[in-house]
Amino acid sequence: MRGDTGQGKILLPAKITRDAVINIRALLSHPMLTGMSRDQAGIPIPAYFVNDVEVTYGGERVAHFEWSSGISRDPFVGFSLRASKEAPLTVTWKDNKGGVYTASADVRFTTTTADATG
Amino acid sequence: MRDSLSRRTFLKSSALAVAAIVATGSTASASPLPGGPDDEPDEDVKKVLREKFGDRPIRPGHVTLDTPDVAPDSREVPLLIESDLPMTADDYVKGFHIVVDHNPDIYLAGFNFTAAIGAATLDTRIKMRRSSHVRIIAETSKGALWTTSRFVYTSLNGCV
Repeated sequence: MRGDTGQGKILLPAKITRDAVINIRALLSHPMLTGMSRDQAGIPIPAYFVNDVEVTYGGERVAHFEWSSGISRDPFVGFSLRASKEAPLTVTWKDNKGGVYTASADVRFTTTTADATG
Repeated sequence: MRDSLSRRTFLKSSALAVAAIVATGSTASASPLPGGPDDEPDEDVKKVLREKFGDRPIRPGHVTLDTPDVAPDSREVPLLIESDLPMTADDYVKGFHIVVDHNPDIYLAGFNFTAAIGAATLDTRIKMRRSSHVRIIAETSKGALWTTSRFVYTSLNGCV
């Protein structure tokens, strides 16, 4: 098993203005095994996959995903969010073996000065 | 033994995929449905849809799926899903459902949203066992169901 399983990452746009609909990208390192493959010795590899993903924004649940093992390894998801407030965005991934992984990013509005200077 | 078997399976599935591509090339213009050849779900898929959505009508429209016609890697088939339905506090897209006809788990995933997200878009990557219809069902907070489908050709079993 790779050592980086459970490393989550959230990517926000560089510039965020109040009430803009922004693109959020969330990535987790996870093998996402279906349980249908075998190792080199022919022994079945047990299913091991993320089946529940929760997205909260300022503590409020804004999205919830239910997955089978048909989502690809190192699961990636991109979705929208209306940047209505400056608050943390948190994604929590749960797998079928009880693993819980969390990543957070702070939604902060870009100031006018920062806009002007790029 | 295992090697020769997997080689044979690979050759067979490749040949089938090529044959399928050749076949659709000649019939695509005759197919009235955007989903490709024979868009009608089979009984197994209909059963999954009934379990999930009951007898509510699922109509084509208001949701789009962007994905390759031929998947270079069936372990990672990119899907880009969008909807032009409203996203207001009292009428919004409550979720996107992904259904792949010939996958072991026909109901692949459900992505549930609230109005707070502002726009119904989704970008993800899925595994496919073999060439199949990929169906997206958009469900609104008022219970309406809209769908689109695309036929995606694959050459290898990506369900690892």
